[in-house]
Amino acid sequence: MSNDELGLFIDNDRKVFAPGETLELSVLWALPAKPDSLEIRLFWYTRGKGTEDVEVLATEKIASSAAAGESKVRFALPAAPYSFSGKLISLLWAVELVAEPGTRSTRCEFTLSPTGTEILLGR
Amino acid sequence: MILARDNPFSTDRVLRERYRLSEREWSRLQEKLSYHCGRGALVGPKGSGKTTLLEDFKVRLSHPGRRITLIRLSAESPILPHAFDKTFFAKLDHNDALLLDGAEQLSWLKWFWFRWHTRHAGLVIVTTHRVGRLPMLHRCSTTPMLLRTLVRSLGEDLPHAEAATLHRRHRGNIREALRELYDRHAEKNTGVLSTPTSLV
Repeated sequence: MSNDELGLFIDNDRKVFAPGETLELSVLWALPAKPDSLEIRLFWYTRGKGTEDVEVLATEKIASSAAAGESKVRFALPAAPYSFSGKLISLLWAVELVAEPGTRSTRCEFTLSPTGTEILLGR
Repeated sequence: MILARDNPFSTDRVLRERYRLSEREWSRLQEKLSYHCGRGALVGPKGSGKTTLLEDFKVRLSHPGRRITLIRLSAESPILPHAFDKTFFAKLDHNDALLLDGAEQLSWLKWFWFRWHTRHAGLVIVTTHRVGRLPMLHRCSTTPMLLRTLVRSLGEDLPHAEAATLHRRHRGNIREALRELYDRHAEKNTGVLSTPTSLV
């Protein structure tokens, strides 16, 4: 990892989680200076034709005392909403790592579904 | 069927397209704003890019020490939110830039109230459908060519004749034309489920 970088990885490279499972993340950062804050956010958002919605479900702050480092973070995933897609709207889950100042960020997406895949509507 | 997250005309992708104004036009716009003592209107019909231009203006006006407030009104929310009461307006001074999107939503009486209470603000810029409320800084308008350019920028192609038809059908409202293209695209058949691509 070069300078000024953020890394956020889901452990074991998993892409799909069942409701209620635990999301385990590895966080790495190498910034030009010690960040004021490092925060991980668990959220879902929508994409599609209409107004976009977003809801942040949980945030976790990393106590950072150095410009570079690594940490582990865990989130208990909620029961809903499931990841789904239709013609008009998709609901997507993601986690992001945000470093201040400068609002640098990186994100990682995953599917939350009891079936092991995104729910497809209208098929 | 194309899934919403893969539709090139999804709201997030469309909103990433900014108002197309050259540096020369920006300079002219800012000169006009200075000439009119920091007061002006971006005028144009629905779907002509006024809000986008106002948002871009907000970015250009940003500098240390300036407080910028963007108030959005619409047919669904036509009145000033409670946060913008007399107390808020009483604090305005020359460091404040007040941007009002949808000034046509205010009745004349409310408009005069707004003008009076923003008299101490350094800048007041509004968007409106018709001329008359503040000196016009820029008239927003659209063409079939602009529609084509936007569609191309979204990674799709729109033949000229089709762009002209679509533009005419929606009376120049680019937002509505892009929504129609969203629907058309959503109906397309595809056997492939591609991964999300635009998540900036």
